[in-house]
Order: sequence, then C-alpha cells, then structure tokens
Amino acid sequence: MGYTEESLPAMINEEIDEVFESGNDLWNIAGGYSITESINLDKSNFSILLDNVEFDIHNVIFQQIRKSNIIAIFACTAGKRITDKSKEFMKDGDLLKGYVYDLFGSIVVESAMDLIQNSLQKEMAALGLKITNRFSPGYCGWEVAEQKKLFSLLPEHFCGIELTDSCLMQPTKSVSGIIGIGESVKYNGCTCNICDASNCLYKNLKYQ
Amino acid sequence: MCDTLERLMNCIESGKINKLSPFPASLKGQDGADELCKLALDEGINPQVILNQALIPGMSKIGEKFSQGKAFVPEMLISAKAMTAAMKHLKPFFATGEIKRNGVFVIGTVMGDLHDIGKNIVSMTIEGAGWEVIDLGVDVKPEKFMEVIDKYPDCVVGLSALLTTTMANMEVVVKEIKSKYADKVILVGSAPLSQDFCKKIGASFYSPDPQGAVEYLKKVAA
Repeated sequence: MGYTEESLPAMINEEIDEVFESGNDLWNIAGGYSITESINLDKSNFSILLDNVEFDIHNVIFQQIRKSNIIAIFACTAGKRITDKSKEFMKDGDLLKGYVYDLFGSIVVESAMDLIQNSLQKEMAALGLKITNRFSPGYCGWEVAEQKKLFSLLPEHFCGIELTDSCLMQPTKSVSGIIGIGESVKYNGCTCNICDASNCLYKNLKYQ
Repeated sequence: MCDTLERLMNCIESGKINKLSPFPASLKGQDGADELCKLALDEGINPQVILNQALIPGMSKIGEKFSQGKAFVPEMLISAKAMTAAMKHLKPFFATGEIKRNGVFVIGTVMGDLHDIGKNIVSMTIEGAGWEVIDLGVDVKPEKFMEVIDKYPDCVVGLSALLTTTMANMEVVVKEIKSKYADKVILVGSAPLSQDFCKKIGASFYSPDPQGAVEYLKKVAA
C-alpha cells in the first residue's frame, strides 16, 4: 500500500483486519512446479532453452540463473473467489474494501508460493543443491508474452490456471515463473537493486 | 470561503464520508461530506460554487498529496467515496444544467486487459475535477471506444493498460480514433508506460499519476 507500519491509518488497518478475517473462506490455493534438467543458456542474447523452448529472459534474470543446472517451472493460484469478492465490493461502491481484497489476493498467492519455494529449497538442500529467487514474466525485463511458452512446459490446465490472449493469467491472483537450481547459485533477498526497470510499480514504491 | 464549504472541502480531502463514518478520528461524530453538501444547498449556496470551491479543491488536494507520495491509494479511494456522497446531492443540478461540467472524459482499460483499480482511481479523480466521466470498464475493444466517441465527439479519451502485452493494444485504439478524429485528445496511463511510449503511439499525454491527468485536462478545458 505504501505505508510504513507507523503511518498506516487506523481505519485502513481495521479494514485490513476485517478482510483478513473474513477472507479465509475465499482461498482456493493450488500450486506446484515441474523440474527440467534440459537447459541451455546462451549469454550472447541472454536467453535460456528449457526443454527446447527458448525464453528471452534478459540480462538481469540471466545473471541470476546462469549457474543453474536445473530449472523449476512453477505456477500457483489463490483461486477465483477472492478476485470476485474484490470486484463485487468495487461495483457496490466500497472501493477501499474492494482494493484491500485485491491486495489480500496478491498476498495469499505470494505467501502460498513462498511455501512452495521453501519446500523446493528443502528438497534441493537434501541433494546438496541451492535455489535462486523466483522470476516471473513481466518483471526484470522478461516479457509477459513469454508466459504462453512457460505454460507449454506445464501440464494442460495446470492448477486450473488459463491464459487469456494477452497472457493474463486467470484466475487473476496467480503467479508463474522459474527458479534456478544448482550447486553454485545463490538466493538474494531483494533483486530491485539489480533490476534496470525504471517504471516498475514495486521499485517505485520501494524507492519513494 | 464560507465555513460550510471549507468543512466540506476538508471532508473530501480527509475522506469523511458522513456523520457515521469513523474516519478520520479527529472528525468522529461530526458531519461528513454527505451532510455538509446538503447543508450547503440548504444555505442557498449555488451548486456550481459547491462543486468549484469545495468538491474540486478537496479532490485536488488529496490528488496532489498522492502525486507527492504523501497519500496512498486507500486515501484516494476514501476521498472519492466522500466525493460521491456529496455529489449525489448535486446530481439533479447537472441534469437541469445549473452545474456545468468541464467536459466529457471517456475512459477504459484496453482490450485484453482486465485490470481496473488504477483506471477507477483516475476516473474518480477526474470526476472530482468537474468532468463527466463515462467509464467503459475493462477489456474495451476499439469499436466500443469509437461508438462512444461518436456519441460524444468533443470528449477527451483516457486509455489504461497494466500489462506490457496489452500496452500494444493502446496503439491500435489510438490509431483507430485518430483515423476518424485526428485531433482527439487521448491520455494514456498505467504502471509500465512512459512518455516515450505515449509519443511513439501518437497519444496526446502521459501521466504517471491521476493528478497529472487532471492538471493536463485543466489546460484542455481552458
């Protein structure tokens, strides 16, 4: 939202509490990943070939995953009902509640994906391997349009997620992307400092 | 400015919707935008004056704070709700022509894109700046924009898109509009956009925030 913990207005805090309490019935989380060892990295154009599908991941992501021997392709969704609830409130004129539900959906799906990523990290640690951050189309210069190729590497209708012609995931509160795995890769806390996007929503918020 | 208008303006800026609304705490139990707008009319204040001296400046103040990073989306939404509560008392005067709008602003999220929160905030801010807003919703095809522009040929158009994939569809819409209305003023906005992109697709103006659009529209209306 942009607030610090101290500057968050009480009323908005109350709205958040209310949505978080009532929103528990609205989750319909599904998520997972597929592993591939068929990788070919090309540093001349910052692309990666996964199972013979080429992705133009750009410099920032390329540098983060270039030491990977394995790639996990993931997708996760919070389900449709949270978005429906948000739109319902928006339509009825309760814009704040609609907005908070929308944010809640984002938090749910990102938190669910954190759990999946933690599980992957433990699984790989048992094999003596490390994992990178997760990277998604639409961020760090990786075009959203590549989402179609990404989903071609996952089972059909994976987790009930479908793509629109413009590559928007449905349900809207869904995430997808790749995680690098290898002996020499590393996990960085926040990658905003290495991303060259000048007008990313999250970067702008962070540096305001 | 009279006391009622000043209080009304403060209620819009701070998001005090009505007497029952608990926010902001400093105005708890006091009249909000709903009651004060009615009071202003009961006091015989001209509806146009209420709009120009209380509602528009109230929204403008919160819009400026938002642009400066001193207020965030929730405050904009609460202020917009307070403005809507006040505006319902002024609606009959728009119908009779006693209040003049600055113009008609047609807005929509372009085809392929279903994101609407940013568009909604821009809609409300521009409505709060005295424009009649026709919100076409999300996933709006070029022909729908054309249909409404044909109905309101003097309107200003606003296009929104959050995805890099759907940004390209803005160009399609701009071209379609310009093919019939070469001088049409078209504003574009959304997180991944830039002034360069705006220029490249032939749109008139890009603003990174709603208040920037309002300031530009002031020049258009002048």
